[in-house]
Amino acid sequence: MDKSTNHPYDELLAAYSAGSLPLSQALCISAHLEHCSSCGQKLQQLNHVGSELMQQLKPSKVSDELKTKLLGMLDSLSEDLPDEKSHKIDARVPRCLHQFVDTNYDDLNWKRISADIQSVELCRDSNGAKVELLKIKPGGSATTHTHMGDEYTVILEGSFSDESGLYGQGDFLVKDENDQHTPVATQDRECICLAVTEGPIQFTGFLHRLLNPFIRRGYA
Amino acid sequence: MPLMANTTAKSDKLARLSACIVRVAENQDKAAFAELFDHYAPLIRSYSLAREPGADLVADDLVQEVLTRVWLKAAKYNATLANLNTWIFTLARNCRIDYLRRNSRYATEIDPTDIFNEIEDEGPGPFQMVQQSRVQQSIRAGLEQLPKEQSEILTKVYLEGKSHQQTSEELKLPLGTVKSRVRLALKKLEVLVPR
Repeated sequence: MDKSTNHPYDELLAAYSAGSLPLSQALCISAHLEHCSSCGQKLQQLNHVGSELMQQLKPSKVSDELKTKLLGMLDSLSEDLPDEKSHKIDARVPRCLHQFVDTNYDDLNWKRISADIQSVELCRDSNGAKVELLKIKPGGSATTHTHMGDEYTVILEGSFSDESGLYGQGDFLVKDENDQHTPVATQDRECICLAVTEGPIQFTGFLHRLLNPFIRRGYA
Repeated sequence: MPLMANTTAKSDKLARLSACIVRVAENQDKAAFAELFDHYAPLIRSYSLAREPGADLVADDLVQEVLTRVWLKAAKYNATLANLNTWIFTLARNCRIDYLRRNSRYATEIDPTDIFNEIEDEGPGPFQMVQQSRVQQSIRAGLEQLPKEQSEILTKVYLEGKSHQQTSEELKLPLGTVKSRVRLALKKLEVLVPR
């Protein structure tokens, strides 16, 4: 279960535990947690921190009406039935992504962005961040790029390497605008990643630089 | 109150509340539920007001939403896996996230349900059973001894629900300082897991 060697920073995991992280980043943390029991264990401790802080709050008086109203409602409450959809989804898809996937990764509306890479945009966060899946073919390379904002990546399938090392399933990476990198998928299989980018990616190769004005428009 | 007596009183209280949740789960016991309400509703209300001071209606809504979930999910709560206070905290946090998403000026299509619900529904998982109460006690003791500048940041992040960026703007501190204070605080609380 514990395959990943690259984890979210403590303060990021704490923000997740606190519920103060943008949901796009929370998606990445949640996908990582499915592969990482040590972060799961740490999260439980971080939840204890929240729990203790909450217990230390000065209680705020609740009206008797609210209590009477709620007690009166109890018999009529019923829980929403769980969504049947989840049973049809490929077990490889992390639970946090079920909302975007009907059956499996193959059925998504992939768009080719280079000879080696396909992508599908899943959604936007309220801060404008783009949430997408990237698929790199075996041995394929993503163009060298930097980022205007932070980029969060979780490897869902396969593995890739870049200038800083080799990353496998579950690994969690954050790159900021000072990091320039060229991910290359390993030869044995394609690599699928969840990627959240807070600003447009900047391609740094000579020809690709010509593309930047067009890509930036996607974030307007 | 001396620290030890205080700690004992708190764990007695928690044991009593934990017995209440079992009665709710097994017998839909309304008197037991009322006891849970009396303890947790004022804390949930404060938790909501910490983020939105003066928003009394929002706070009442959150109380109602969280305690509704407590009633409906009581049977799923597993005392050997998670302490009741922590379970309630995660419910309150999840309800607040839902509320903010529904009422945000900035829409997002991301549904938080499947991101956070695993803890709520299934408990933290067997690997987290390890020394649960010892960890909680050391966190409690640690919080009391944190330097103010660190506890202030934890309060912003956990109770006021502020992002690191917002915290940095409000306290007029560089973003890096905010992050390093969170890290230092967690280190003091011994929230560390050997990899």
